[in-house]
Amino acid sequence: MSKTEKVMTIDEKLSLTKLTTDKNYEHITINPEICKKCKTFDCVYACPANCYKFAEGEEVDSPIIFDYAPCLECGSCRIVCPHGSVDWHYPKGGFGVEYKMS
Amino acid sequence: MSTNYDFDVTIIGAGPAGTAAALTLAKGGIEVVLVERGQYPGAKNVSGGALYGPVINELVPNYWEEEGFERFLTIKKISLLSENKAVTIDINNQDFKKPPYNGVSVTRPKFDRWLAKKAEEAGAMILLDTVVEDFVWEGDQILGIKSGDDIIKSKLTIIAEGSSALLTEKAGLAKFPKPEHYAVALKETYELPSDVIESRYGLEKNEGFSNEMLGYAEGIPGGGFFYTNRDTLSFGLILNLKKLTKKKLKSTDVFEQFKTHPYIQKLIQDAKMIEYSAQTIPEGGFKHMSKLYGNGVLVAGDAAGMVLNAGLYIEGMNFALEAGKIAGEAAIEILKLGDFSSNGTKIYENKLKKSFVYKDLKTFKRAAKFLDTDRIFTKYPDLITGLMKKLLKNTGKPRKRIVKTAVGYILKRMNILSLIKDAIGGWRSI
Repeated sequence: MSKTEKVMTIDEKLSLTKLTTDKNYEHITINPEICKKCKTFDCVYACPANCYKFAEGEEVDSPIIFDYAPCLECGSCRIVCPHGSVDWHYPKGGFGVEYKMS
Repeated sequence: MSTNYDFDVTIIGAGPAGTAAALTLAKGGIEVVLVERGQYPGAKNVSGGALYGPVINELVPNYWEEEGFERFLTIKKISLLSENKAVTIDINNQDFKKPPYNGVSVTRPKFDRWLAKKAEEAGAMILLDTVVEDFVWEGDQILGIKSGDDIIKSKLTIIAEGSSALLTEKAGLAKFPKPEHYAVALKETYELPSDVIESRYGLEKNEGFSNEMLGYAEGIPGGGFFYTNRDTLSFGLILNLKKLTKKKLKSTDVFEQFKTHPYIQKLIQDAKMIEYSAQTIPEGGFKHMSKLYGNGVLVAGDAAGMVLNAGLYIEGMNFALEAGKIAGEAAIEILKLGDFSSNGTKIYENKLKKSFVYKDLKTFKRAAKFLDTDRIFTKYPDLITGLMKKLLKNTGKPRKRIVKTAVGYILKRMNILSLIKDAIGGWRSI
């Protein structure tokens, strides 16, 4: 690839999109008890915003680290989780993603 | 009953379905409120996206004289991609370049806002930043919506919440979604001056093209899309969620890999990325649509699964616009007759059955199953691009007859039984 075609990271791409995080309300929560036993990790593969990441290190409670802040509200995680661990709601009014050009 | 209603009809979601319903109802003199969770209509919405001109024109006559859309689509390109190779069919129809225009490209924050303004001008009330959490229930009858401490009571509620369909489930009309019936779309919007768009892609002023792409996505059912807008480009990739997760591939990685294809690099060359977006698409087709009506409630658009996946294109917005319009017309009749139980609201389904929405979904009902074959998304693009290379490559040796080369090439790489099976499957489904 030439220098003009530098691959952007997801974080760089997400920085282009207007996201307003609601610090008082997590619109998606996952159940760590369920995630602990997970062997499929479908959320990690599906999420287009990398909200779900593999936890690194030996002494972790859950194999998945979840952050709702970059969420694009697509709903993939809720659909793909075969264990019903994802409790998905719409963010409160005025929060979340705000597309300008999509 | 002596219920005091705030409105005749409450509509959830100011996308194409909800707003088309609101516009139709407001034009009919009905008191209607359109509730949208976004900061403005379109703020949460993502699409390819093209709309049929005639469908918009029915809702807003002479729409092309205004600013809601991007470009008139006269050219449709279909590309098959494989490693370093692409074969593109270019269908150029200049007859499409006159009103009401066959298709137009749209960007949702612009189009949805424009259409919502039309509904507002017609008399609909629009509430923004308003998230519906539940319905007002009286027994098993829906009598409006709840949002935080606010309650809006209405005789009828139309759900047009989009793909996530949380409220459609809550209303008891849809089951919990299955990954095989959904895709995720990842999209990037690029900025490019309109004169550069026109000179680069050989377009006249305001003319545009769409480009669907098959292959080069790890064999995952779905495909790429590219649309020219006024001074932006829409580019994205659709991936079936079941196949993606089964292959243990990250959607973001598959997208980046797809983007490295030389054909795509050339399309987006020198353009500056200005937004990244994503959305799910219900693509289960006819068999996996939700129930369309219940006691006091109708469902339209993506929320009901009204999306047609015919392989080379995925179609949802036009169905949403049309179904929303029909939901609005049905609601006017239901209000007149006064039966808001599911016996009365069934009018909507009866009306929808006569429309292209229902008929097209039914016609293509086998497509979803046929397109489940991995061969369509890897083998055939590889086969056709490879064959074209073989036919065109100059080796310095005498050439064989084209048909002989082609048949030999294909049979060496494909099982004849799979070919026949796919030919029959393809014939029956599309």
